[in-house]
Amino acid sequence: MIRRTQGSEAQLTTRRDFVRAGGALFVSLAAPLGEAAQIVATATTPDPTLLASWLEIRHDNTILLRTGRTETGTGMSAFYAQTLAEELRVRPEVITLIMGDTDRTPDGGYSAGFLIGAANVRKVGAYTYQALLSLAAEQLQVPASSITITAGVAAGGGKSLSYGQLLEGRHLDLKIPVTGKPTGMDASFGWGVGGLMGYSVTGNPPVKPVSEYTVVGTSFPMPGIPDKVTGRTAWSCDVPVPGLEGNLLHARMIRPPTVGSTLITAGTVDKKRFPTARVIAKGNLVAVVSPDEWEAVTAARAFASSTKWTAWSGLPGSEQLTTTLRARDWGTPSTRGDATAVIAALAQAERTVSASFEQPYVRHAPIGPYVAVADVRRDGTVTVWTHSSQSQGLRAQIANTLSVPREKVVIRWLDHAGQYGRTTHSGDGAEGDAVILSQLTGQPVRVQWMLPEDMAWSTASPGWIADIKGGLDAQGRITAVESAFRSPHMMDARLLGAILGRMPTTTTKSGNWNAIEWPYDRIKTRFEAAYGMPNLAGEAAHGGLRGNIMRTPGHRQQNFVLESMINEAAALAGADPIQFRREHTTEPRLLELLDATAQAAGWEARPSPRPGAGKTGNAPLIGRGAGIIFRDNAYWVGIAEVEVTPATGVVRATRFTIGADVGKVINPRHLDRCMKSGAVMGLSEALKEEVTFDRERVTSTDWNRYKILTMQEMPELRVVQISRDDKGFGTGGEASNAVAPSAVVAAFFDATGIFPRRIPLTPNYVKALLNG
Amino acid sequence: MKTKFALTVNGAKQRVTAEPGTPLLYVLRNALKLTGPRFGCGLAQCGACAVLVDGKEVRSCVVPVDSMVGKKVVTIEGLPEVWAQQKGIAPNSQTLHPVQQAWIDEQTPKCGYCQSGMMIAAVDLLSKNPNPTVAEIKDAFTNTPPSPHLCRCGTYAAIIDAVQRAAKVMNSTGGPA
Ligand code: FES
Ligand code: FES
Repeated sequence: MIRRTQGSEAQLTTRRDFVRAGGALFVSLAAPLGEAAQIVATATTPDPTLLASWLEIRHDNTILLRTGRTETGTGMSAFYAQTLAEELRVRPEVITLIMGDTDRTPDGGYSAGFLIGAANVRKVGAYTYQALLSLAAEQLQVPASSITITAGVAAGGGKSLSYGQLLEGRHLDLKIPVTGKPTGMDASFGWGVGGLMGYSVTGNPPVKPVSEYTVVGTSFPMPGIPDKVTGRTAWSCDVPVPGLEGNLLHARMIRPPTVGSTLITAGTVDKKRFPTARVIAKGNLVAVVSPDEWEAVTAARAFASSTKWTAWSGLPGSEQLTTTLRARDWGTPSTRGDATAVIAALAQAERTVSASFEQPYVRHAPIGPYVAVADVRRDGTVTVWTHSSQSQGLRAQIANTLSVPREKVVIRWLDHAGQYGRTTHSGDGAEGDAVILSQLTGQPVRVQWMLPEDMAWSTASPGWIADIKGGLDAQGRITAVESAFRSPHMMDARLLGAILGRMPTTTTKSGNWNAIEWPYDRIKTRFEAAYGMPNLAGEAAHGGLRGNIMRTPGHRQQNFVLESMINEAAALAGADPIQFRREHTTEPRLLELLDATAQAAGWEARPSPRPGAGKTGNAPLIGRGAGIIFRDNAYWVGIAEVEVTPATGVVRATRFTIGADVGKVINPRHLDRCMKSGAVMGLSEALKEEVTFDRERVTSTDWNRYKILTMQEMPELRVVQISRDDKGFGTGGEASNAVAPSAVVAAFFDATGIFPRRIPLTPNYVKALLNG
Repeated sequence: MKTKFALTVNGAKQRVTAEPGTPLLYVLRNALKLTGPRFGCGLAQCGACAVLVDGKEVRSCVVPVDSMVGKKVVTIEGLPEVWAQQKGIAPNSQTLHPVQQAWIDEQTPKCGYCQSGMMIAAVDLLSKNPNPTVAEIKDAFTNTPPSPHLCRCGTYAAIIDAVQRAAKVMNSTGGPA
């Protein structure tokens, strides 16, 4: 791996500025230590304006940090600890985290919002540090300016005190200024739930200069890993509360046989074969419950065959998906840019590239299907154990579905299989099933979806179609770009249990948005249109094929189209694809990253397709291609090398080089892990993934039919990281999957001279493409 | 009809009552509270539920509990003891199996859901091939029946790093007895 460090930062607020500006140094010392304990004891969410809601510095010098955001597997639990350790001048090892529990964390928000979450933690840490510094000055009887704090010990005037000693017998009563409002149902959002961002800590406390960082920028390990490798982690699929178990029911859901079938008659359970199983039904929500999990599984299977549903067939079939989308009247798009200027520029262009692209439905496909445990009590209190990415949003949804006040609902978050966005908007999942069944039975219920059920009934990332046009001048420079992107609904956060059980659930408004963050400042004239529509077959009883965002949402799909057009335009201009990109940007970060990644890949400058490109034969043809993305203050470059065997249609990635400039790198090793992981997911999408369906139902319902990349299919991976001290923080996890597809299709073009305008590059599609 | 079975799991004798056809996974997780092995597909297609049976990887989501009588079942919770026995050292909670330690040292898990099964596959592989090449690791994790070991988080590169690290440690400490 190649790593570089660049830049120095701008001037920051100092303690003196801060004090002079009347900064919030409330160092009153309130006696009662019971506050934290009180917070835990109620179902209400800790008040975000109180320091004790965010962190506790204990007398043994350990620190407890609370955030409503959660770990999705990208290492954020390490990064939060690193961020706080830096501001408080402590070792990250002394910090433990509580994440995502609505009764024990203050700020809510969604898991992938790490940058916002980290900004909160940084400011809370900075406010606390200033308070601790004042306290140390008072107790050591020296001015704050002559105190140094290292590893949680304040030293000055020849004496020293640890944080634990400083706070002996007292409690830091610090006010934390915040903006935001509590998460709740809110129809002004497309998915019907407000509070995606959670609370934000405001003000400008003096934060530690990046140049003085000692913990951020090092590869601090992810705290949960030792428990995960020894079997000690409590996962959301485990029975989370030992006390619950005696009374717990395991449920298996019986789903309609088609996307639109409704229940005619529920079957029966043979009591001789399944003595402790019983059927629970409400509307179209049908389940078999049993204290014995395997009995629930087998009874549900037997029962399903005796249950009658109406017939339904209203899907177009996945083979017809894009023709169906093409035939649709899409209405008014949301737009960005100057249409008139683009029309004029395209009319004057020497040459134009014009192409249409498409992709089928793909899905998040975690290794663990949805699971949840709910305990709905007669007194109206509700506890849900979940792996949702948005606990406060889920809390609002559950309260809405059960018509109970939000204050009665507690969401406890636990680890589970990576979700890649499917619960970001707080819906989907087994939680709806679980609370409804628990309410109906009066017992705690654990609902485990089975894999075929998850692959058929969880939300998926919708297919899309797109048209793009680029105009080139006489020098072969792009002067204008016009694009139109069309996709079914991507933010259906309704709880399936509530839909089927005909209970209240959130509203859902379809729409689409222009997601690209523009990396090419030298292409100034552009017009983008994004068209939305409801779920495919959305008029069907249960909402049709429900759509949801997936990792780098919208942006990933739209950027694929933009980058493919850039690659086609480079070929038209007879230019090397890396050099062609260099000519369309002046951004030094992107220029440096392009060069560094190309160098790591051993990129040889020349136009595509390669000399000798072909489309026949049994021998593998080789090719290479590039793609970039700019997202949330981070630049990414991907370079794919592939082998195409025309006779079999098999495309194999042989090497993938991925470069990232994410501003200041927080944790080089976890960034390396995220970059490689994202590359694998992106290659999987480029080469293999497709949700298939017939006119009635989803048919890609197991791992033999929804194929993802295997270890053997993973190419050699090379990584380039550039860290900058003066550009803030960018997202280091999410966009890593988005560079592979455009690089892979460009590499295919390099090998064959034919530009694929659809992914995945499956053997059948490739053979048709090469023969066509 | 529910029947009593005597099983040997992680070196300990266990008595469980279950329908004879109950997959081992459900017995491990629910009756024995061994939650290392996890439910992924229930179809022998992913590897999340893998355990060792007499030293070989088996998908616990499809093997019935009645076929396990008289066999030795090991989950990740029992790996430290497997290693202690191989090395002839007294079992203690501090010393992990080198495969587990390598998974920590290489920071292999992302969400971690698949990784119990991945570590079981690694222990199985290293017992047959103490020094696997990258190609051999890829082959073992992909082509060993009944299915590839799948990781949706894409940690394959980190798994390869960890297997090779574990191999080094196991070889330098004398290898499997
Ligand atoms: S859960 Fe057993 S192989 Fe997937
Ligand atoms: S680490 Fe998440 S599925 Fe493998």
